[in-house]
Amino acid sequence: MFTAIRYVIRENFSNLYRIYSISKYELLADMRDSKFGIVWNFLSPAIQVLTYWLIFGIAWNRKPVEVNGITVSYLPWLVVGYACWWFVQPCITNGCNAIFSKVNVITKMKFPVSVLPATVICKEFFNHGCMLVIALITLLACGYYPQWWWISILYYIFAAFCFVEAVALILSVLTMLWRDIRKLVVSLTRMLMYFSPIIWDCQFGAHVPFARYINLIMKLNPVYYLVNGYRESIFYHKFFWNHPAQTLCFWVIVLVLFAIGCMLMYKFKKKFIDLI
Amino acid sequence: MDADIAVRATNVSKIYDLRNKDNQHRTDSSRFYALKDVSFEVKKGDVVGILGTNGSGKSTLSLLLSGISDIDSGTIEINGEQSLVAINTGLNNQLTGLENIKVKGALLGLKKKRIEEITQDVINFAEIGDFLYQPVKKYSSGMKSRLGFAISLALNPDIFIVDEALSVGDRGFAKKCMDRMMQLRDDEGKTIFFISHSLDQVKNFCTTGMWIEGGSLVEMGPVNEVAGHYSEYVEKMNAMKGPEKRKFLDEKFRKRLLPKEEKKSWWKRLVS
Repeated sequence: MFTAIRYVIRENFSNLYRIYSISKYELLADMRDSKFGIVWNFLSPAIQVLTYWLIFGIAWNRKPVEVNGITVSYLPWLVVGYACWWFVQPCITNGCNAIFSKVNVITKMKFPVSVLPATVICKEFFNHGCMLVIALITLLACGYYPQWWWISILYYIFAAFCFVEAVALILSVLTMLWRDIRKLVVSLTRMLMYFSPIIWDCQFGAHVPFARYINLIMKLNPVYYLVNGYRESIFYHKFFWNHPAQTLCFWVIVLVLFAIGCMLMYKFKKKFIDLI
Repeated sequence: MDADIAVRATNVSKIYDLRNKDNQHRTDSSRFYALKDVSFEVKKGDVVGILGTNGSGKSTLSLLLSGISDIDSGTIEINGEQSLVAINTGLNNQLTGLENIKVKGALLGLKKKRIEEITQDVINFAEIGDFLYQPVKKYSSGMKSRLGFAISLALNPDIFIVDEALSVGDRGFAKKCMDRMMQLRDDEGKTIFFISHSLDQVKNFCTTGMWIEGGSLVEMGPVNEVAGHYSEYVEKMNAMKGPEKRKFLDEKFRKRLLPKEEKKSWWKRLVS
């Protein structure tokens, strides 16, 4: 197990420039396809947020969200949570295709396959940057100005990065073994979105049977931790050490996923060509 | 391993799974030797021409030699860095020629500095002129291949594996590629594995011939001898009449099938 982890980590770190170039030029190629190029990287998440806000915020008249006495109106609350999801979701769904979409490369040249999930994530990380800019603009427009404690969001960005890397490692290998995984995952992520506190606060009311336990289980969801973390660093002035149990649980999940991903990658690194 | 040996293969076998008529994954007896019990030794600086009819396992061998694919049994020892010359791989249609040099360079694992060094060489060698700033999707197929080949040559491995790579571009460019390969052979003393269906090219370029047929190594020796035997064989095959030929091919195919083995599901492969 440790050889596998060491192998993946070493391969990734010795190919940093390769990862950077691949993701940079893939982004560029995407932009060349369209006339407005980079505008879409900003526009599509903005439209997405606008849709949710119009439906849930305006049409359904959602009340401002109140946590521990701090009230935040729906739009800024939504935009921060959605920023996180806009990173996690494409990383998971495109992570499935990380190796498969590069089949023509890995069958034709000697290539460190384990860097491919990282390239997808770096590519999405750029989009995440765009989304954070949108979030910042929205926050400023709603009257939230940068505070020093906002930097704790950096920790959560790092946590999100580790989480999606681990997930993408596993899913990219599984997709090679079993193509259906991607379709399954695309459907499941849609479900995951509603079971994470992105457009609602993900708290079941007391009228639901076993609501207490369900809410507890909800908190085990790593995405819950991330989205909540993004919000807490912006609005609630809280840090990750305020939730030791959740933090521990999150990192255990990430490490276990990462170890599984590394082992899969190590086991199949030379077999992919026979799995096409 | 002795220092003057570049590659030593001992009893190398590669097995592929076949699908049945309904395109279902694996059925009872459908495993197939792509390569069966191949053993050979290649000295440093040797230029080996690999001959064989279609489907005889040449490309599989090139994949094994370049370390892309895993062998099922036997061992391959390789002294030095090897690389497969892949021409059209890694070019991105949306990007310009210049950007593609950077993309493919990075894919091949070159460092940033090295890519900057080679850029001018690649431009000169590929002779694409002002098309450098056009997206590659606008290129003709010959131009694309020239760009791809030029970038591949920027690598500096000890062992080159060239699989049908020089049959691209016009004759002028093919000659240029051949010249470059000869330079690699003569001046830099690289070990080269050269797969081509053009017997003349192989005879001109290689010193050693290797003839693979039906997944097994038939003959290895001086190139002219092997090429002679190979062309005799091809003529004999061509002279065969329909049913006779079919019987011959069937026989050859059956020899490569593997005896029955217990079915393994993907789940078992995962945990094993």
